[in-house]
Order: sequence, then C-alpha cells, then structure tokens
Amino acid sequence: MRYILILIIGFGFCTAAVADTIKAKVNGMVCGFCATGIEKTFKAQPEVKTVNVDLQKKLVTIQTKEGQTIDDAKLKKLIGNAGYSVVAVAREK
Amino acid sequence: MNTKTFLTLLFATFAVVVAGEAKPLSYVDGTMVMQENDETGHTISLDYTFTPTEAFGLYIKQEENGKDIFMLTPELNTLLKRWNLPDGQGNIFNMSGAGVANYRGNNQPALWTAFLADYESRRLFFSYEPRFVWDGNIEKSVWQRARIGIAPYLANYNDLNTWIMFQVDHHPAKHDHFVATPLIRFFYKTYLFEVGYSSNQHIMVNWTMQF
Repeated sequence: MRYILILIIGFGFCTAAVADTIKAKVNGMVCGFCATGIEKTFKAQPEVKTVNVDLQKKLVTIQTKEGQTIDDAKLKKLIGNAGYSVVAVAREK
Repeated sequence: MNTKTFLTLLFATFAVVVAGEAKPLSYVDGTMVMQENDETGHTISLDYTFTPTEAFGLYIKQEENGKDIFMLTPELNTLLKRWNLPDGQGNIFNMSGAGVANYRGNNQPALWTAFLADYESRRLFFSYEPRFVWDGNIEKSVWQRARIGIAPYLANYNDLNTWIMFQVDHHPAKHDHFVATPLIRFFYKTYLFEVGYSSNQHIMVNWTMQF
C-alpha cells in the first residue's frame, strides 16, 4: 500500500513538472505586424515561457512553464483577440 | 503663440519623431503611430487599440496641393469585417473623426469618414479607400485611393520584408485630380517604411511604428 502511495505521489510530481509545447495552425497570419500581436499577447500570459511565430508554416508554437498549460478555449480566444483564427492544435509534453 | 502656430509646432515635432499606409488597428493594448508625407500634405495619427476591433486616437493633417487646410480630430478606427484565409487576410475598416479645421484663420468644425478594404497575402496586396471630408464652409471633398503591391520574395517574421507597390489617388479638391505613385515598402517586425515618387513630382515618405 505504501509503495502504491509513493508511486502515485511520485507520478503526480512528474506530471506537474512537465511543460506543454502547443503548436497552433493559424489562418490570416501574413506579416510581421500579425506576428508581433500574437507574440505580445502570449508573452503577457503567466503560463507562457516562449512563443514563436512561423509565417511560412502558419504556425504559432507556445512553450508553457513547467506544470502549466493553456487549454484550447483560451488559446483560441487569445489568438482570436489578436485578430486571427486557429484551425488546428497539436500538443506535445 | 497662437493656437495654429502651437499645433503646427506640435505636428512638426511629432513628424520628426515618428511615420504609413498600414492597417488602422494593431493588437489589443497596442499603440500605433502612422505618418504620411505625400503630395496631399502631411498626416500623423496616434492610435491605441482597446478591443480586437476598435482603436481610438488622434488624427492631424496639414493639407497641400490645394487649400492648405489644417485639421485636428480625435478618431475611431473600427474593424467591420475580417476574413482569415489559409494564405491571406481580407479586411474592411471604417475610420472616422470629428474635430476642427483651420484655413487662413477660419476655424470650422471638421468631420471625416473613410472605409478601407484590403486583401493581403505574403505575396500580393490590394487596397481601396474612399474618404469623405466635411470642413464646414472651408471645403467638402471626396477622395479615393487604390493600391496594388507584390512582394518580390517571401520573407519570414525576422526578415526584412520588401514590397513593390503602385498607388493611384483621385482627389477632385486638389490641383492634380489623378496622381499615380510607384513606391517601395520595407518592413521589419513592427517598423514600416515607404518611399515613392508621384506623377506630380512629389516625394512620398510614410512610416508606421507599433509598440
């Protein structure tokens, strides 16, 4: 029983320490002004560690801080507020 | 120092510090300064974007090539419709202002409104803007401006972007009703700079900064 408890707690710590890498495919991003808007919006979020915009691949890549994440609804809202549309989201731990 | 001299100095000071023909909105909490110097005169606007579809700011214009009207108005820029497409973006904006116009000491209420429709991909650019201006008993005018542009290479976010553009203006209130201006646009991240030379032999220098 004690082993199982330690295992669960240990697993919990491991999970909490993992950061998310979120890749969002975005429509409408065509210029540097677009990229800056998205960058500044995400950099202002406490969960975000880094953000990268690739105009060629139409991809916004967000790395969150350890143990934190941004759910799809918030992601779409933030990119929507910056003026663009999310068409697909992929996540990596 | 009279009001006009003060405002002219204020305008000139801004003109030296700041400079574009870009979208009239940035991102929420973003501030944008745009300045245009062309055959119609000198314009400066300073706007703060407070919602995803609205920006509020100040618009100042010193006109040339006709009546030398000075105009100062607060302005509201509104994104009416946006199409986010896989390879581009289309927009319709409205920009409107209400304030004061001055011509040879005659102060008049001033109202203006403009619609800007544009489509931009990483390779092509098109825009059309009709503008309606009412300066009390000084002048009432309608302006039109259309632009096409092509990017000779596809640049990414951290690269210098270059555009070759062609602009046509129609402004019946000016001496030269139709004016064509070939120009080149550069932008890097949040800095945009344009330089051109018009068919009525005026140099165009525009610039925009976002911060």
